[in-house]
Amino acid sequence: MKKSFMMLLTLVFVASIALAGCGSKAETKTTDEKTPTTDATQTPTEPEKKSEPFSITLRHIQVGEPQKNRLAILQDVVKKTEADVPGLKIELDGVEDNTNRNTKLPAEMAAGNVPQIFDLFGGTKDAQKYAQAGKLLDLTPIIEELGIKDQFMDLSAFSVDGKVYGLPIGSSAEGMYYNTEIFTKYNLTAPKTWDEFENILATLKSNGVTPLAGFAKDGWAAAMLPNSLWARYAGPEFIAGLKDNTSDWTSPEITAAMTKLDEWNKKEYFVKGQLGIDYAGRIGQISTGKAALMFDGSWSSSSFADPKQAGDVVGKIGFFFLPPAPGGKGDQTAVNGNSSANGYGFRADLNENELKAAKAFIKNMYTLENQEKGLLTDNTLPSMKLPKESTDKVTDQIVRQVTEGMSAAGALFPVFDAFVTSEVNTAIEQNVQKLFSGKITPAEFGQNVAKAAGK
Amino acid sequence: MNKALRNPAIYILFIVPSLILYFLFFIYPLITSVYYGFTDWDGLNNPQFVGFDNFVKLFEDADFLHSILNNIYFICFSVGIQVPLIILFALLIGSVKRFQRLYKTTVFLPSILSTSVIGILWGFIYDPDMGLLNRFLGLFGVDTIYWLSDEKTAFLSILITNAWQWMGFYIVLVLAAILAIPKELTEAAAIDGATGFQQATKITVPLIMPIISVVIMLSIAGAMRVVDIVIVMTKGGPAGSTDVMASYMVSRAFSYGQYGYGTTIALIIFVFSLVLTALYQIAFNRKASEGVEY
Repeated sequence: MKKSFMMLLTLVFVASIALAGCGSKAETKTTDEKTPTTDATQTPTEPEKKSEPFSITLRHIQVGEPQKNRLAILQDVVKKTEADVPGLKIELDGVEDNTNRNTKLPAEMAAGNVPQIFDLFGGTKDAQKYAQAGKLLDLTPIIEELGIKDQFMDLSAFSVDGKVYGLPIGSSAEGMYYNTEIFTKYNLTAPKTWDEFENILATLKSNGVTPLAGFAKDGWAAAMLPNSLWARYAGPEFIAGLKDNTSDWTSPEITAAMTKLDEWNKKEYFVKGQLGIDYAGRIGQISTGKAALMFDGSWSSSSFADPKQAGDVVGKIGFFFLPPAPGGKGDQTAVNGNSSANGYGFRADLNENELKAAKAFIKNMYTLENQEKGLLTDNTLPSMKLPKESTDKVTDQIVRQVTEGMSAAGALFPVFDAFVTSEVNTAIEQNVQKLFSGKITPAEFGQNVAKAAGK
Repeated sequence: MNKALRNPAIYILFIVPSLILYFLFFIYPLITSVYYGFTDWDGLNNPQFVGFDNFVKLFEDADFLHSILNNIYFICFSVGIQVPLIILFALLIGSVKRFQRLYKTTVFLPSILSTSVIGILWGFIYDPDMGLLNRFLGLFGVDTIYWLSDEKTAFLSILITNAWQWMGFYIVLVLAAILAIPKELTEAAAIDGATGFQQATKITVPLIMPIISVVIMLSIAGAMRVVDIVIVMTKGGPAGSTDVMASYMVSRAFSYGQYGYGTTIALIIFVFSLVLTALYQIAFNRKASEGVEY
């Protein structure tokens, strides 16, 4: 008797644990089943009808001081979207850019639990890879319905087989920022030729000013300047050729470009200890006068308009693209311009309600007003075709110099990371760092990357 | 009651839940890892079976071989420098009469902090321009040292930080063993004219050998699986020079999306740890059986 009682007790105990484990799952299932039915009766024409509340998660990367203007635009859009879709609650989930792009999102993609809306980069190792694996929502019907498809400048980085899987929030360009005050002090001006440029670096160095900001702890940041050097020495065709892996990494031009980088590094033109400084440390180097120039993307220009981040150098920063390289191949007037970088992607298996939310989000986010707002308040170059009267409103000196430089350019070349495989990307990032640390020679750089590219 | 407990079915009932969990979270992942280790997998598409390609690639990968070397340095530092210091500090704290609890708490404090906090904290200390360390060395006219950016000093800086974090925990372990030694033994030795040093080396240390053995084994295991402090402090940099096996695995699998290759590294770490711990167990158990007892 006692024995069977004990057995029973134990069984109940074990069963209760097992059942407790199943509990929440069963619960979610019932709510899941419920929502579509309420949804079916829900039409936009009868908003007074009480709608079943539901929430979606929106992963964004607008965290920290430099991103505050971008966050404000996003919050506005979220508010509007919530008002448009009855019952919708959007949970904002802010994650730092690099962590989201390279750690969190890939893991979530593998596990199949990505948020409904998330920040997404274009290119082969992001949007296109996920799209090919069937993880992203095809946005083509939505943007066609909203009539915004033709308003984007370029959606190729987010497209696979003519279908669009993500929408860029802005565009960007990479070039050299410089401290105008330091330049005036040493009688320097923005360079028109390569010799002038090298002269600037040498003059600053000889006067005890570190010419170039350094932040090579983050591999992707370390590879920004090399990208433009490759385009100067080996021509914009080199970058374009990365798309179908026809570019030759072991060519003398690439070796020459890396030799130049190596030379600058050996002459200590970069801030000392740059391999231990992460990307976030760059603004401080310019604002404290530790370095006079910084090679970075146009997205950083908003930081130089904010006294909280840039301190005394607000209004004292200029921008130029690298001048033509002597003996460089191809169009030397071409500058870096990325018609799209990051934007938003949507999970492939959205339910009916979530789809409505996604549609409303796209409608509210991708408007010319927001593009203009981004350009004027946040210095984000537009990803949609803005009319001239909008771009004419720009007063920020850096943005003007960026856009003028881009419109004067013969052509635009993109950044390599949108085209190469993740193996090649890894090899580039690591070998640039190794070159900076003196572990490899410029020629070895090309050989190592070529090996990763399967050549 | 007793009858019920004599029934093996009862025991099985109790064990089954934990066995299920153990299987689910340990055995099953282990088996799937072995499978994924032989595939080329990006985490999204179907894994492609590639045989021993990953293993061949791994042992030709200079960066990975360098990370193994770093793990070995880590073990040497832990066992060769950290453990003697742990014993020394434990002996010192064990012999003080006043404020013993204060010392105990103080040395233990770092091990309750999270590694991220410690990594960032020491990042400030090592900062080349404003850091405490360089400021202090600057008083003696030492030039700026780029602790975490220079290949020569970066790994040492991590080792020191890691030692600072974990020594307190082991000191408390050893201290507990020291305080458990019957007072009569040391008192008798003192009456016989043994000096403090002789008491420590001839009586205390031989008696706490079993706990020291545990500390050494934990240090080896800790050094094999170290990863967080490296990621927080240097991300494996400058230029991969401070990567240990586990941080190399994390960067390969998660940052660069080479899940198959990353799993291969994980398997190698597993095998290495297994072999090392087994070797140590065999070597030390033989020695410990000849140990002193009271």
